[in-house]
Amino acid sequence: MAGSVTLDRAGVGLQQMTTAPSAKSALFEEQAMEHIDKLYAHAMRKTGNRVDANDLVQETYLKAFAAFDQFQQGTNIKAWLHRILENTYINQYRKLQNQPFYSPLEELEDWQLADAESRTATSSRSAEAEAIDHLPASAVKDALQGIPEDFRAAVYLVDVEGYSYQEVADIMDTPTGTVMSRLHRGRKLLREQLADYAREQGIGKGK
Amino acid sequence: MGDCGCEKAKKDLEEYLHNELCSEEASDIRAHMENCVDCSDEHRVGVVLTEAVKRACEETAPEELRREVLAKLRRIQQH
Repeated sequence: MAGSVTLDRAGVGLQQMTTAPSAKSALFEEQAMEHIDKLYAHAMRKTGNRVDANDLVQETYLKAFAAFDQFQQGTNIKAWLHRILENTYINQYRKLQNQPFYSPLEELEDWQLADAESRTATSSRSAEAEAIDHLPASAVKDALQGIPEDFRAAVYLVDVEGYSYQEVADIMDTPTGTVMSRLHRGRKLLREQLADYAREQGIGKGK
Repeated sequence: MGDCGCEKAKKDLEEYLHNELCSEEASDIRAHMENCVDCSDEHRVGVVLTEAVKRACEETAPEELRREVLAKLRRIQQH
């Protein structure tokens, strides 16, 4: 599985073996801290609130630092950090939520995933694009928060961070087929919710 | 190669959007969209959706969080 975003590969480079602890931390700070905005955005999508996002980011950095010797210099540190964040979330935060966790909705019934496309066929697609384009960011955020967590993470990592399916498979530790399916379903649900919102608000009707 | 037809285009549009197709498949889809308003509109919805998600997900980590992370990292090193 591991792929390019190794957490577990013992790729200790010469650099790390010869550097003193303080130099190690300087290197870590230099390489890792610049990604904090992205990690915070990722954490916000995972937790849905600032307090938990703060904790998750802190925990991610501490774990990453502790595992920094295993990070293979020259590989993608940002992807490595996103992967640690995913792991940390699964191990610590998801456990604490006692809301019924709908397991990756691979199990979602098909009728629950009404076909967004067939709905839009009645109105025009260009009107739909127009509507989505004019939605406030808060509505999009709410819609994102309303879809299952694993779908949301796939959408976030591909559409916002621009990772390839393979990279997301490494980050989320799932097969690429699963990434693709989460992404499809996540985007479909999102599109439906946004269409509903736009309809309610009368956005995109050219009025 | 050339126009791949609606069925294949619809099936692969999302992978096209995410640059997951090989260049030949991608150019077939482009060729199809030039002739098909329906598929190019569908693609446009996909593009706009991605842009909307990107806009909505922009975040700046609070300065305090940055400071706290650095402080914790430095505290660890002293042990």
